[in-house]
Amino acid sequence: MVTDMSASSNTINPWPFLLPALSLCLLFFLLPTLNMVILSLTTETGFGFDNFKLFFATPHLTQALHRSLILASSATLIASLVAWPLAYFIVFCVHKKWRPLFLLAILAPFWTSFTIRAFSWQLVLSDNGVVTWFIELITGFSVTLGILYTMNASIFGLALFGSMLTTFTLYGALVSIDDKLIEAASTLGAKPFHIFKDIIFPLGLPGWLAGIFLTFIVCVGDYAVPTLLGGGLKPVLAQIMLSILKGTYDLSQAATIAIVLAITVMLCGLPLIIYSLAKRNRTAV
Amino acid sequence: MNNLIVSKFMFSLLTAFFCVALIVIYLPIIVMIVFSFNSGKYQTLPFREPTFEWYVNLIADSSFINSFFTSLMMASLASVFATILGFLAAYAFSKAKIPAHALLFGIVVCPLVIPMILIGIGMRLQIVSVGIQPALWLVLLGQTLYVLPLAVINLKNRIDKIPKSMEEASISLGSSRLKSIVLILAPICAPSLFATLLLTFTFSFDEFVIAYFLTNFEITLPIRIWTSLVTGFEPKINAVGTAVFIFSVTLGLIAQFILLFKQAELNKH
Repeated sequence: MVTDMSASSNTINPWPFLLPALSLCLLFFLLPTLNMVILSLTTETGFGFDNFKLFFATPHLTQALHRSLILASSATLIASLVAWPLAYFIVFCVHKKWRPLFLLAILAPFWTSFTIRAFSWQLVLSDNGVVTWFIELITGFSVTLGILYTMNASIFGLALFGSMLTTFTLYGALVSIDDKLIEAASTLGAKPFHIFKDIIFPLGLPGWLAGIFLTFIVCVGDYAVPTLLGGGLKPVLAQIMLSILKGTYDLSQAATIAIVLAITVMLCGLPLIIYSLAKRNRTAV
Repeated sequence: MNNLIVSKFMFSLLTAFFCVALIVIYLPIIVMIVFSFNSGKYQTLPFREPTFEWYVNLIADSSFINSFFTSLMMASLASVFATILGFLAAYAFSKAKIPAHALLFGIVVCPLVIPMILIGIGMRLQIVSVGIQPALWLVLLGQTLYVLPLAVINLKNRIDKIPKSMEEASISLGSSRLKSIVLILAPICAPSLFATLLLTFTFSFDEFVIAYFLTNFEITLPIRIWTSLVTGFEPKINAVGTAVFIFSVTLGLIAQFILLFKQAELNKH
């Protein structure tokens, strides 16, 4: 193939360079996905939705789905709010030269493993952890924090991660806003609030939404934070999947749960996709 | 500071918020590092005498050391594979006429917007269906797929900014397409290629789910750490955490640094 290409390199279209990456995606992503769909639809008697009926008839599983959704949406909501002041500060309060440095300060812990980060919060939040110790030091009373191994601890851990992620994507959108736009608006008499409402917010929106979407995806599929901070007594779907594959090994159930989770993600992402398509059409017209 | 849109009052408010965020982000990591030097079996304050005991224990524990080397090997190979495949794919996406361009690009970057656990489960169910035994080479390919979108996106951003004329010139002077990629394009992209290598290495080094589902016995470092955390506390886990933190953050920061500053420089022109 290589010699062939060099012979007539001037005319040939270099699309075959795509093939190695594409075949990897085919073998390790598309085929497994197809296989999973088939597996979830396979029942003892043939094809059907029995597995899904069983899923929604099992309280243990529907409760886990419910918990996954609550956890992911709370964490995403908090993260989406926290990201604005952080990204805003880095872009509009810091000199151009130092922006990347400030961003890196927020992002640095992002580079270590999820597990290690979740674990380090155990040290802080546990009933004999740093926060308790600090409160006792100041007030002199012994307190029981009771945060670790609750849903709130999970939400906190995931929200923190999501804040970093959303700050990153929002930063990308805000930093590319042309200074001249803001100067022009200001010269024409716009107050800071209006500049925010009419220029900064709309232009930051795509980055913000991308961050929200990515945060939700990571949170809804996470097992580490719910296990290490939330405890194992009230599992989310991802924890159940992990335990099925290492325990009971009911493969069609695992596939069914995975498909339910995938559909959930798609449904939650749908409004965003529709929004971006609508926006693209509007700019095209 | 941009006076037009941030009043003095807002500026101090935002600064305070940023500082609080930094404290919240770094507090647990500092605590972990401090505890990694704390003698005493239980993770409680106040701090006792400082000790290197946990680090010494760590180096003596062959299960940690072996899993570290397994991870090192997986991440090195996966990052090299992903960078090469990603470079070729990015080049094709940037310069070639591809039918169903958007769809194919979507397929290649899709693993980025799907929960990792779904991809991991899919792979596990697939190898069970086909009858392949879990093994390290599967982890390698799985992790390459996982970091491939990062490589494609990063490198496509860079290649898009290279004017077509540069390559056309070399081709019209008689160079082959492949030669012009290796001799002209790759050196221009060298900083981005290096950053991509580091980035994909870091992600693959920390990856847990795919490795957990695709091997049984030859475990990677994240699996070893996970097992230790869920089965009962070992004090040396603080030392592991500190070591892993410093290792991945250094690599990740270098990559991010190159990308961010390079980007700022390119936007200037």
